Amino acid sequence: MRHVGAIAGRELRSLFVSPVAYAVLTLFAVLAGFFFLLSIQGFRETMNYYQQIGQFDVLEQINLNNQVIAPFIQVMWIVFLFLIPGITMGLFASEKTNGTQELLMTSPLTMWELVVGKFVAAGAFVTILIAMMGLFPALLFLDADTPILGWIFSGFDLAEPDPEGLQMLAGLLGLWLLGLTYAAVGTFASSLTRNQLVAFFLALALLLILWLLSVVADLGVAEGAMGTAASLSTVLTWLSTSDHFDKLARGLVDTRDLAYFAFMIGAFLVLTKTSVESVRWR
Amino acid sequence: MIEAEGITKRYGDFLAVDDVSFTAQAGEVIGFLGPNGAGKTTTMRILTGFLPATDGSARIAGHDIFNEPLAARRAIGYLPENPPLYPEMDVAGYLEFVTRIKDVPRARRRSAVESAIERCGLKDVHRRVIGSLSKGFRQRVGIAQAIVHDPRVLILDEPTVGLDPIQIREIRSLIAALADPGKSEARTIVLSTHILAEVEAICPRVILINQGRKVVDSSLAELTAEGQSLEDVFARVALRAGEAA
Repeated sequence: MRHVGAIAGRELRSLFVSPVAYAVLTLFAVLAGFFFLLSIQGFRETMNYYQQIGQFDVLEQINLNNQVIAPFIQVMWIVFLFLIPGITMGLFASEKTNGTQELLMTSPLTMWELVVGKFVAAGAFVTILIAMMGLFPALLFLDADTPILGWIFSGFDLAEPDPEGLQMLAGLLGLWLLGLTYAAVGTFASSLTRNQLVAFFLALALLLILWLLSVVADLGVAEGAMGTAASLSTVLTWLSTSDHFDKLARGLVDTRDLAYFAFMIGAFLVLTKTSVESVRWR
Repeated sequence: MIEAEGITKRYGDFLAVDDVSFTAQAGEVIGFLGPNGAGKTTTMRILTGFLPATDGSARIAGHDIFNEPLAARRAIGYLPENPPLYPEMDVAGYLEFVTRIKDVPRARRRSAVESAIERCGLKDVHRRVIGSLSKGFRQRVGIAQAIVHDPRVLILDEPTVGLDPIQIREIRSLIAALADPGKSEARTIVLSTHILAEVEAICPRVILINQGRKVVDSSLAELTAEGQSLEDVFARVALRAGEAA
C-alpha cells in the first residue's frame, strides 16, 4: 500500500489546479450557509409558534441540537448527492481519456493501491467539506453574548440553551461516513466509463436508488400484510443509506450503522477494483 | 533481457497476435515493423503487462510478466502510442510522480528527474504545464517518462510519430544514446514504427510482423545484403500475406 500516497497526492494536486475543486468548494460554502440560515429560521418560527399559543413547557424543551443542528446536517445530504459525483467523476474516466491508464497499469502498482489511492483522494476532499460546514454549527457554541446567538433568541423570554457538542460531532460523523460512501460509489461509476458526464449521472442515479430503497421497502411493508415481502423489505431498508444516516444525524451512534457504512464503502471499492481490472479481460 | 515465447492474443475469433517468439539481449535495438493492424501494439502491450496474453509467456529481465508482474514492470519503460500525460501537471511534477509509482528510491528521485529532463532536452520547459506544450515536447515528456526510472528494457510505440524532421533526428540520437552501453549498463530497446528510414538509421535488428505473425527476424545487414532495400522486403512480405488471405 506504499503507492497509495503517490496516487492520492497526485489526484488531489490535479483537483486543486482545476477549476472544479474551487467551484465545488464555493458552491458548497454558499449552500451550507444558506441551509444553516434556513435551519435557524425554522427554529425561530417553531419557537414563535409555541410562544404565541402559550405552550411554555414545550418551549423549554426545544434545543439547538434537535431543532437547528440535526435538520441542518440532514438537509446537507442533498448537497453531497450532487457535489460528490462532481468530484469523483474524473477519477478513472480521465485516466482513460488521457491515456495515463497505460502508465498506471504498466507500473509496479497493485490494483488495490490504485483503487484505494483514488478513494483516499476523494475521501480527503469530503473531509475538507465536512470541516468547512462544521464551522456553521460551531458558531452556536460561541459565548452567549455573541451577536449570532443574540439574534437567534431575540424576542423570546428564554434562557439560551447550550447545544450538546458530542451530539453535533456524531451528526458530522454521520455526514462524513455518508460522504465517504458516496465517494466510493462515485469512484465505481467513474471506473465504468471514459466519459466524465456519464460517470456523473451514473453516480447520481446509483446514489438516488440507494437512498430510495427504503421508500421502496416502505411500500413493500404495505404489501407485506399479504405475508411475502416483509423479509425483503427488511433487507432493502438495511441496504438503503437513509435510515442509517438519519440516526447518526440525530446524534445516535450505533455500531450497526457504522458497520453499514464500512460495508458499503468496502463493497463499492471491491466493485471498482473488478471494473478497473476488467480492461485486462478484453 | 526479453524472452517472448509463443505469445498469442485472441479476441473472439480474431487472432491479433499469433505465436510470436523472440529473444533480445542487452544492448540490442530492435525495430518492430508491420502494416497497420499487424499486431505490433498488441504485442507491446502484452510485453509491458498492460494486456494478458491468451497463450504463451514472456520474461523481462528474468521476471515472468504473468507470475512476477511487479518485478517485470519495474524493469520496463514504456511509451504507449499516445504519451500518457496529465495535461494539468507541470513537467517536473509529472516526472516526480512517475518516479514514485516506478519505485525509484526516495533519495534518487530528484536526480532521476533531473537526468531525464536533461537527456530529453526539457530543461527550458520543466516548469511548464504539460497541456500547454507543443506536440514535439509532449512526445519528449513521454520518452522522459519511459526512461526516468532507468529501466533495463525500453518499449517505445512509434516514438517519432507527429514530430518534425529535426525533432525526429533528436529523438533518434537520444534512442541511440540510450542503447549505447557507455558508462551504465546497456539497455534493450524495442521500438515500433512505420518509417522504414528510421529502422535503417537506428535498429540493427528488424522484426517484421504481419497479420499477427512474425514473418521476418534478422539483422538489418542480412536483410539488405542482396542489394534490396528494406522497403522492397516490407512490400514483398505485406503483398504475399495479402495474397494468402
